[in-house]
Amino acid sequence: MTDRALQADSTAPLSSLTSALVDANDQILALYDLATITTDSLEETQSVERILAQGKKLLRADELKLLSEDDERDQPSPRMGGSTAVVSVEHTSGDRATLVARRESKPFGTPDKKLLNAVAHMALSAVHTARLHTEALQQAVVARDHAMASELAQRSLPRWRPAVPGTAIFARSDPARTAGGDLFSFAASEAHIDFVVGDVSGKGLPAAMMMSNVIMASNNAFQRHRDDGPAAMLKSIDSWTYDTLSENALFVTIVVGRYETATRTLSLANAGHSPVVFVHEDSPTSLPASCPPVGVLPGIEPEETIITIEPGDRLAICSDGFTEQENEAGEMLGEQLLDEWLLDRTLPTDQFGESMFSQLETFAGRAGQADDRTLFVLDFPGTA
Amino acid sequence: MQIEHLHDAPSNSSTLMLNGRFDAHETDAFRATFDGLNDDGIHHITVGLGDVEFLDSTALAELVRGMKRCRENGGDLVLSSLSDPVRVILELTRLDAAFTIN
Repeated sequence: MTDRALQADSTAPLSSLTSALVDANDQILALYDLATITTDSLEETQSVERILAQGKKLLRADELKLLSEDDERDQPSPRMGGSTAVVSVEHTSGDRATLVARRESKPFGTPDKKLLNAVAHMALSAVHTARLHTEALQQAVVARDHAMASELAQRSLPRWRPAVPGTAIFARSDPARTAGGDLFSFAASEAHIDFVVGDVSGKGLPAAMMMSNVIMASNNAFQRHRDDGPAAMLKSIDSWTYDTLSENALFVTIVVGRYETATRTLSLANAGHSPVVFVHEDSPTSLPASCPPVGVLPGIEPEETIITIEPGDRLAICSDGFTEQENEAGEMLGEQLLDEWLLDRTLPTDQFGESMFSQLETFAGRAGQADDRTLFVLDFPGTA
Repeated sequence: MQIEHLHDAPSNSSTLMLNGRFDAHETDAFRATFDGLNDDGIHHITVGLGDVEFLDSTALAELVRGMKRCRENGGDLVLSSLSDPVRVILELTRLDAAFTIN
């Protein structure tokens, strides 16, 4: 044996050991990269490609691919042997991942199958996480749009209150959700107040969108029928909104009113709304509707109720979210208790209105708010 | 709320007997039953409300929707045997003038 041959013989194991160490180090790095992929990316394609690349290194495979659902239909059931391995794993959500690995150098063994299974689980996890992330983003966009639309609809309610001599007005509407179907609006001069109070059937954004539509129709009716009474205004609101309400299986219970300071007369036209309570001295009287709500039958014919006002009189209009509010025992507030509350004349109108909401909160207790709540109060403290 | 369905084949009409609370939580079940009848060509439907203890505005809107669908198809939704709370709410809203009531 020559010196050169001896030298080659003695370095062969060292070279092989070095190669094995480098190989093992590469595999550890590949394992590390694989472990961090699902925590640093939420983008499905990118994550899966990185997982497959590292999985390929770990398996020393020539090819590793994730099958699509169409590819899967053509695949045999998971099998081992030769230079091809197929493994399919399923998530509890129903998501599935099938991986196919190919290697020319030597057949896959049992440890390779376990490794392939682990890589398949990681790919499935990446697909599932990315899908959840995408769904969450889509839901967030829908929720944001919904919130903005609700806010816009709720802003249709006027923030100003008429200041007409001899009157005091309170109006507040608390939707059960972000927005609701309860509404009020006004028009006024020094000599009169026109007002509308209503409740669109249903809740949430659909009712709120219709609510803003009814407010527009009401404000238009205030302008166009300035020389007419509430009945003409109500008919105008009906003609503007009937088709939209009817097509969407909605209706609106609504009261249109006018108070004229010169004649001290209050005129009301009521389409299906309750409760409408007029308080004279210590006697509350319910003012009934003269026709069904707007949106039920075409061409309503409302009649007007006309009242001559005396000092101290009060008109209160609520939505059913007041009278149908339940307490913890499941009992509804009802009109009798509401009438009793309305007799309180110890507070200025603003404070009285707020106290009504406070009393309702106390009454509801842990039962919470189930429906939109609206209260409109028109007091005549100084009418001479 | 429970919905009991009785069908009269000779007249191709149905009766839905309701009981309990008819409110926003129950309208989906009512609509599914009602629309199923309409889809089967039944447009004469009586809704029995004798055992209904409470009816809210969402339920009223559902009955109005049903009434319109039946009338559009040449039939009607008739309300029958009203309980006191139901009669009161129909009178307050003047919906008693819009429905056919037996």
